[in-house]
Amino acid sequence: MSAAALQPDTQENIRDIVIDEVFPHTPETVWKVLTSAQLIARWLMRPTGFEAVEGKTFTFQTTPGGHWDGVIHCRVLEVVAFRRLVYAWKGGDARNTGYGAPLDTVVTWSLTPVEAGTRIQLVHAGFVLPRNETAYTGMSGGWKKVVRQLDEISGENS
Amino acid sequence: MIETAPHPVTAVMRALADPTRRAVFERIFDSKEVSVAELTRGSGVTQGAISQHLKSLKQAGLVAERAEGRNVYYRAAPEGLEPLVTWMDHYGVFWRERFQNLRDLLKEIDP
Repeated sequence: MSAAALQPDTQENIRDIVIDEVFPHTPETVWKVLTSAQLIARWLMRPTGFEAVEGKTFTFQTTPGGHWDGVIHCRVLEVVAFRRLVYAWKGGDARNTGYGAPLDTVVTWSLTPVEAGTRIQLVHAGFVLPRNETAYTGMSGGWKKVVRQLDEISGENS
Repeated sequence: MIETAPHPVTAVMRALADPTRRAVFERIFDSKEVSVAELTRGSGVTQGAISQHLKSLKQAGLVAERAEGRNVYYRAAPEGLEPLVTWMDHYGVFWRERFQNLRDLLKEIDP
């Protein structure tokens, strides 16, 4: 599946979240934690129906927002043992904005063996920034501070 | 279907679009609880104007109030800002935390 398939409207501002860290464990150990439903429940969230098999669908129950029931619908897109795991990550409702707005994204885990263990790269791709983004960025620096504090609060609640 | 109530994001944006009102909100946000008199002091506007701003902020769900005797105290209700937090903001924080969980769990399983 190509990234282009996710971007029907190139006018929209689409962004990715990338986290890249080295862990002092073998790719085999990391893989186990990424692909065992029981272990996923311990570090991510408790999945329903997860199996590391291409085409399998599963869900996560998260905090509802507005018209959205909080269910994240996932589908395994790619499995390359000890190297790569890709799943679709969808949710939200068209009647919401911000948290709870439509979400059609893809989560990709890539593992690379390195001297110190395993390099884990997470790419959560396909965030569509609101069209009225300029309205937000035009606000004062104080506003940004508020948003940062809010991030911390929402982190505590999740 | 026609939505009668203004969209939450519109209400929040409208409430914070006014610079004075935004300043009032930020002062409330920075204090645990604050009275109208305290907010008026040093603001350069009248207590009546501050009260009007507080009313708008309350309607937008951004502040909450508590009456004690003759005084009313205001505190921030940051959950009212939620319509402005994008998925990108949400998951930026979410994945950072989950990476830390992952690190902790791996350490426990494979010390």
